[in-house]
Amino acid sequence: MTEIALQTIHPYKKIQDLQRRIAVYDDEAAYKELFFILFHSLTKFSTGIVQTKETAEEIVSDVFISIWNDRTRLQEIEDLQLYLFIAVKNNSIRKLKQQNKTRTVSIDELSVEMDSAYQDPEARVLSSESLHNIEQVIENLPHRAKLIFKLAKEDKMRYKEIAALLNISVKTVDHQLAITLKKMALALGATFRRKK
Amino acid sequence: MNRDKIWHLFARKLSGESSRDELQELQSLVEEDSPLKYEMDAITQLWEQQHPQDTEYLEATYHLHYEKMKKLGVAPVSADNEVVYFQDDKRRTIKKSRLIAAVVLAGLIVTAAFVFLKPGKLPAKVEAAEQQAQIIPNEIKTKRGSNTQFKLPDGSTVWLNADSKLNYSKINATGVREVYLTGEAFFDVVRNPERPFIIHTESIDIKVLGTTFNVKAYPDDKTIETSLIHGSVEVMVKSRPHEKYLLKPNQKLVLMNEQYAEKREKDQRVMPVNIPIVFVKQINYLQGDTAARETSWVRNKLSFEDEPFAELAKRLERWYDVSIEFKNKEIEEIELSGSFEQETLTQVLEAVRFINNYKFKYKIEGKQVVIF
Repeated sequence: MTEIALQTIHPYKKIQDLQRRIAVYDDEAAYKELFFILFHSLTKFSTGIVQTKETAEEIVSDVFISIWNDRTRLQEIEDLQLYLFIAVKNNSIRKLKQQNKTRTVSIDELSVEMDSAYQDPEARVLSSESLHNIEQVIENLPHRAKLIFKLAKEDKMRYKEIAALLNISVKTVDHQLAITLKKMALALGATFRRKK
Repeated sequence: MNRDKIWHLFARKLSGESSRDELQELQSLVEEDSPLKYEMDAITQLWEQQHPQDTEYLEATYHLHYEKMKKLGVAPVSADNEVVYFQDDKRRTIKKSRLIAAVVLAGLIVTAAFVFLKPGKLPAKVEAAEQQAQIIPNEIKTKRGSNTQFKLPDGSTVWLNADSKLNYSKINATGVREVYLTGEAFFDVVRNPERPFIIHTESIDIKVLGTTFNVKAYPDDKTIETSLIHGSVEVMVKSRPHEKYLLKPNQKLVLMNEQYAEKREKDQRVMPVNIPIVFVKQINYLQGDTAARETSWVRNKLSFEDEPFAELAKRLERWYDVSIEFKNKEIEEIELSGSFEQETLTQVLEAVRFINNYKFKYKIEGKQVVIF
């Protein structure tokens, strides 16, 4: 399919637009599109808490149903992506507590899977060795650092959103991301220098 | 200096959190051609690469999700737009409302048969009625105040603007790709050189191989416009059968709407202004935007340039589902430029009033707007 300008608009603008279409026009196509944009990310986030993909899918699906049921009030939500992540987080924690009874949940225990570093074959910038090294760095990050990196890179979240979602300060987000990027650059540098 | 500062600046740049000063500071800290620059570029490229959507998985999951909503009795019903989902060419699922309509129609025809036909001929007619009920007209309609997006059976995507109609019963497995359009639509046609895609409207036919373009053909608008974004299209004007127009990207073909001209003549008893019937213009791009003005409606943006208020009013009527009446002919002729996105009708009218030094007033009563 030909590339059109529509696909390049900022995800926030896109989500706001869909939010409006659902709230004002009961637009099912917009609802489906919103589902397509966020289902995968939300499920991954929930899986980090509840540990099984099936349970996570169930939780995310329920949150999406509540969105449709309450669509007349949808426009009151300022940041829909953040709202959905927080709803999924709360429901996932509730589910986990039900299963494990008294246990409390800390975000430092949340594991998260990154999408594998996807390289467009036509725009390949890194050797497979460099890529492997970078993946190793990400794999070995502490849970929290990895989650912050994932939310910033894959979900394009703003610092203040990540902070609100994980109940941490913006400063922590800033700091953790900086450390992660430094580690990645060091790993790359090591590969480059060995080549020379 | 804090040695890690550079990584904070880099992180902020990637996440879109940097101020202009911070961007400049980062640039001054990283020398051209340094190993650091190379590493940062590589990380930036990785950062920006997004994993492609797994459409098949999402399609299947959404289907399950939708079934769950149906069981709970809260599934979205798009009765207004009568959207038909096509899984592929062979299998299709039809929305419930459509099926009910078909059943009701069959019922009506059967009843009619009982009333009007001799008993002896009944069985054959009932069979005919059943056959008729199975031929479901593939048509998508939008009401005023709403628009929709959907995929055609051949994989092409269509955005249908408010108060429009697209009939695609002539797209089928045998290779024909023809649709009938009233109103406005944006097409992203899947390329297939052996199966040209043809769009019929009241006054023009458009033949394409694979491309993205917009067609505006409302019966009550002054012009019929075809705007090309990518690829190439061939336009045939029905009233001038010996001419064909080939459009290049970023060109639009404007045809004066004869239906409109005749109606105006009758209404106002004025002679039509002598303007060419067909002409080709460049597409307008919005300032600081990648989308053409002609297609901005696809993104729910109402955008116009040097447009007479009377023409803009027609778009407002479709956009906000109202009817607008001018009591003052002078106001109708004012030319306006601008764009609106989230604004309410009142906000739009207030804005237009503001730029015209409050030369006019308006009254909104329900769905009636009077401008005086």
